[in-house]
Amino acid sequence: MQAKIFSASESLKAGNRVVVAGISAVVLVLVLAAVVLFANLPDANAFNARVEQLFIQNDDLTAQAELKLLEILAQSGTAFQDTLASYRFVIFVLFVFATALLIAAVAFLVMLIEMNRRMSKIERAGIEINSLVISRDQNTVTLNDFEFKLTEASIETLAVLAEARMDDEVMSGLQIEAVISGRDPSDCDEAAGATRIKRLRDTLGNQMISELLVKNIARRGYMLAIDKDVIRMT
Amino acid sequence: MKHILPIVLALFGTAAQADCYADYKAKQDDPLRLQYGVAQINGACEIEAAANELAPRLEGAGWILLNIVSVFDENGLEERRDSAGENFLRF
Repeated sequence: MQAKIFSASESLKAGNRVVVAGISAVVLVLVLAAVVLFANLPDANAFNARVEQLFIQNDDLTAQAELKLLEILAQSGTAFQDTLASYRFVIFVLFVFATALLIAAVAFLVMLIEMNRRMSKIERAGIEINSLVISRDQNTVTLNDFEFKLTEASIETLAVLAEARMDDEVMSGLQIEAVISGRDPSDCDEAAGATRIKRLRDTLGNQMISELLVKNIARRGYMLAIDKDVIRMT
Repeated sequence: MKHILPIVLALFGTAAQADCYADYKAKQDDPLRLQYGVAQINGACEIEAAANELAPRLEGAGWILLNIVSVFDENGLEERRDSAGENFLRF
């Protein structure tokens, strides 16, 4: 069976491509929209042009007073130009905001997808140990948030294994027994070390399973501590 | 009276035979200003010719000719004097 290979750098590259494509699409769409909007905004001179047309078309609008009125009309239109200019600016600012928000939305979307992918990977991996704290004086070990009580011998075994792990070493049963008992390796038995490991597994495994899977509810009984939707019988 | 008439005729005589006037509409931009005026036309007494003649004259004073309303002789002057106001025979 061939394992499915996930390349972190490859998915990162694909993700970056999606982000760049998404953001440029957003910017492109908004720039297009801005251009269309600005092009379709009424020309600031439209009012003057309309008054002028009115003046040309009506031959009886020739008295001085009528001309003055037409000019005043045009001037009020000119005042409206300033309003239009401020509208344009407001629209521009809103477009900038919209661009920023949409870019953020795309970025967050990609982040969310990436996060979901990572979450599902973690969910499938089962228990992932982020912290291991051994307190020898209380004979307890804390895995993530779970605290387990161990025997003194088991704590000793775990401590030895932890120290070996920190040095990136693999220990044989013989070595474990030698370190814990303090005797010369030649006097030790491989089986004794294996027994220590077995005891550690038994006590720790028993407590972990009771914490994570088979729960004991006081004075009521036992229950599987999992979501009932994930159970499937085949 | 009989003596004055020839003098008056002589005074206006040069103009009399080619008397042609046009009333026009013109504008200035920024801010928009409108003008209705009457001007004397020296060339042919037609709307097109009057437009060609008036446009440069008005432009010299900063006005843009919009259109010529009509061309007429001195009989039409008086009725347009009020409307044209200060632009009566100004350009």
